[in-house]
Amino acid sequence: MSRITASAGFVRFPILAALLGLLVSGCGINNIPSYEETAKARWSEVQNQYQRRSDLIPNLVETVKGFAKQEREVLEAVTAARARATSIQLPADVVTDPEAFKKFQDAQAQLSGALGRLLAVSEKYPDLKSNQNFLALQSQLEGTENRIAVARRDYIEAVRAYNTELKTFPGVIWFKLLYATNKPMETFAVSEDVQRNPQVKF
Amino acid sequence: MIRPAPVLRTSANGAGLFAGLVGLAMLASVVLAQALTFPALTGRVVDEANVLDQATRTALTDKLAALETKTSDQLVVVTLKSLQGTSIEDFGYQLGRAWGIGQKGKNNGALLIVAPTERKVRIEVGYGLEGTLTDALTTVIIESAIIPRFRANDIPGGITRGADSIMQVLSGDAELFKQQTAVKEAARKQPQDNVYAPLFVLFWLALAAFIIFTIARSHRGGGGGPWFVPVSGRSDSWSSGSSGGFSSGGFSGGGGDFGGGGSSGSW
Repeated sequence: MSRITASAGFVRFPILAALLGLLVSGCGINNIPSYEETAKARWSEVQNQYQRRSDLIPNLVETVKGFAKQEREVLEAVTAARARATSIQLPADVVTDPEAFKKFQDAQAQLSGALGRLLAVSEKYPDLKSNQNFLALQSQLEGTENRIAVARRDYIEAVRAYNTELKTFPGVIWFKLLYATNKPMETFAVSEDVQRNPQVKF
Repeated sequence: MIRPAPVLRTSANGAGLFAGLVGLAMLASVVLAQALTFPALTGRVVDEANVLDQATRTALTDKLAALETKTSDQLVVVTLKSLQGTSIEDFGYQLGRAWGIGQKGKNNGALLIVAPTERKVRIEVGYGLEGTLTDALTTVIIESAIIPRFRANDIPGGITRGADSIMQVLSGDAELFKQQTAVKEAARKQPQDNVYAPLFVLFWLALAAFIIFTIARSHRGGGGGPWFVPVSGRSDSWSSGSSGGFSSGGFSGGGGDFGGGGSSGSW
């Protein structure tokens, strides 16, 4: 430490106190709650985008039915997967509950798979492929998938920062002292890029 | 690397160095690392791939500037030499965020990105414009105005028509395009975005400087004046460094954010 030899004694104490305050806040006493809030906000965004995708699906199923009614299996699979994904009751602490988080992730992955199959099947119907409604829905779906990917990446990054802060010095000190009830947050197992639906090219 | 000024020559040297290191550590946590290298935002038309002639660039720049004056929306046209191995979707939103296109808070930015090497085009839409410049509309613009001209090898024409169409939609006239789309987009809630980190850095640096100043004065009695200037000068350059390298004296991003909206095409 530096040798502060101020001639007047009354100057030394406030300076030391200010330096201590600087040290403490510089060492991130507020990092844990602010990283937590950021991660929660990113999680809301992820849920927002998944919901948006769910909202697009009924319209998509109806449009495909109009041209490809015989593809009943695939259509029903999508409808069932969507119902399962939207009916999951997420607990308030889903981000710190590994089982609930996994359930959510699996349901959404299943829906992604069913959607991919539906789009692949639609390839076989030229009337459907050139239908304006279908094209608009498809572009909206692709856009939503991209937004989901971006939201997931933002969330993964926010959770990484939060979990790292809980484990590394000096965050771990504040964690033990003040935020002992905080738990590390769950993150997505596989990047959405890998799971992305097959891009349908005309 | 930023160092504390060598003029600190008293026993408060240690305190100064320490405060400087603390400030640097706080700054480092604000600046994020990026894996992709983005071209510099030299203007509203960034022609890195050199596919546009000067006349086209000037005409486009004027129109884009007029758009921002009228609606405060920022539309930037960029052609890329290379997508650096990633998808144009992945590149697009990161580029939009890096440049901060769109006004802060409103997030009303959009990018028309052309990658001639990979033959990909994308209209990247900021959070705030997703309700007007919907995915369906951007797909129609790409498929009807841009791709046919690109296929006929008319890159400048395609870019100009694409930009004109986007500006038409942003100026409120989307009817021509809406006729081609049958589905309404759901309205989207904008996320809140408050980034006060650079302010905090500045505040603590100023406080550190003040403390050093006080220590020096109490120790030496009156000789602390000259030091104050280099320390506060440094905090100014740190603040401009942390806000991301905006080009001086011209066009710069307003700090808008992107969420992956928009659509792509290829030819």
